[in-house]
Amino acid sequence: MKAFAGLHPAVTMTYFVLLLTVCMFLPHPVLQGQALVCGALTCALLCRRGAARDVGFYLPLFLLVAVTNPLFSHNGVTPLFFLNGNPVTLEALLYGLSLAAMVVGVLLWCKAYNEVMTSDKFLYLFGAVTPKLSLVLSMALRFLPAYRRQARRVSRAQKAMGLYAGSSMVCRVKNRLRVLAAMVTWSLENAMETAASMKARGYGSGKRRTHFSLFRFRPADGAFFAALLLLAAAPLAAAAAGALNFTYYPRLSQLQTTPAAWVAYAAYGLFLLLPAMWEAKEALVWRCCKRKI
Amino acid sequence: MKKWISAFVLCLLIPAVVVGGALLFSAKRYAWISLCVACLACLPVFLRLERGQSGARRLILIAAMTALSVLGRILFTPLPGFKPVTALVILTALTFGGEAGFLTGALSAVVSNFWFGQGPWTPFQMFSWGFMGLIAGWLSAPLKRSRLLLALCGALSGALYSLLMDVWTVLWADGGFRLSRYLAVLVTSAPFTLVYAASNVVFLLLFGKPITKILERMQTKYGL
Repeated sequence: MKAFAGLHPAVTMTYFVLLLTVCMFLPHPVLQGQALVCGALTCALLCRRGAARDVGFYLPLFLLVAVTNPLFSHNGVTPLFFLNGNPVTLEALLYGLSLAAMVVGVLLWCKAYNEVMTSDKFLYLFGAVTPKLSLVLSMALRFLPAYRRQARRVSRAQKAMGLYAGSSMVCRVKNRLRVLAAMVTWSLENAMETAASMKARGYGSGKRRTHFSLFRFRPADGAFFAALLLLAAAPLAAAAAGALNFTYYPRLSQLQTTPAAWVAYAAYGLFLLLPAMWEAKEALVWRCCKRKI
Repeated sequence: MKKWISAFVLCLLIPAVVVGGALLFSAKRYAWISLCVACLACLPVFLRLERGQSGARRLILIAAMTALSVLGRILFTPLPGFKPVTALVILTALTFGGEAGFLTGALSAVVSNFWFGQGPWTPFQMFSWGFMGLIAGWLSAPLKRSRLLLALCGALSGALYSLLMDVWTVLWADGGFRLSRYLAVLVTSAPFTLVYAASNVVFLLLFGKPITKILERMQTKYGL
């Protein structure tokens, strides 16, 4: 049930590139807070498994970044208290919070990216521009599962020969090393055979190559693409016009409440919620379809 | 033509990104600028591969070495920091040249991060591992002659990897470079730096001779 992952790869890639650009280029507290909350929501929707473990990772990271900034930075004019004779300032604390929101927000969105942009979509997008590099990448990705299987076979064979005697750290490292060494010869011989086979089948004789996965750009993709461009344009335009300037040092500046700023906040919020809304829309359509049966 | 592109990227584009980024973002977003620089630094070698006349054999060889080093990273997952990736990149560079080493290193970062998670650190890892391969390729003659030098190179590149990635950590967590934070990060990551360096030395000493022998045999057998 991942409707967002069903969109055309060019659309999803544009979405993530624009999103990460805004996240890293526009350090504005409202936008950062929105990105953090919506990132968590999208991650929860897209990748259901391991949510508890993720909270255990991101929450301490957030606190770590937020708390350590005022310990290293003593800029700002509002001291809260003194630590070892150094002032811990309100501005540095809030700047730390904003950095933490950005860091964790970007990480959450990267997690969503990993879930949606699988390697075949990545290769589909870049295959046209860089055919050789994409070939090497896709070959490496294809070799890996085969190599892992073979590595397991080698280690089983060695176990049967009684080579896996000890369970100490040194023994384990040695065993793995032996497996890896055995893999090198096998894999390279295998690779050369693949190359010969490719040559025999005429690799490099044609101009354009076809892909394993075919994606069609459908009207729904067009609609999503238009929506994301429109919504992302608002905060970028507002920032370019100087409506989203915010500084922490030496003194906090006022949060903007001009109409332009409100439009930017609202558009960015909608932009961040696009994947979640898309999921909800598909779920609704599915329900209607089921009812009709 | 190829040389012109590399020269253009290295001498004009990268400084332009650094200066332009600093002017545009008032030196606040170093992390983003350095990300762009890391991507651009990888560009010349990728372009050379794309435009060059390398046949299927060489491409598959790079793919196989990449897959092997990623397999190494996966095999040794239970031991944090103890990874054979750098060692394999260096050994590839010794036999097949710096460019192959760079590609193996950079692509290993991309491919392994499909398992370990892509993120803004991917270009940095690409550049760090690739760069080590490039350097090892340049120094291949003395490194092949002496095992001591090879071990030293492994230790240094382990330390260099840690130093480079720590710069990234500081830029990322601070939005700018602060020496006090960098030193603090260096201290907290010191055990990892040691493990990186030690693991490279271990892998290169145990692995160096047999694997170089295998690779050289491949080279003569298949004329790579």
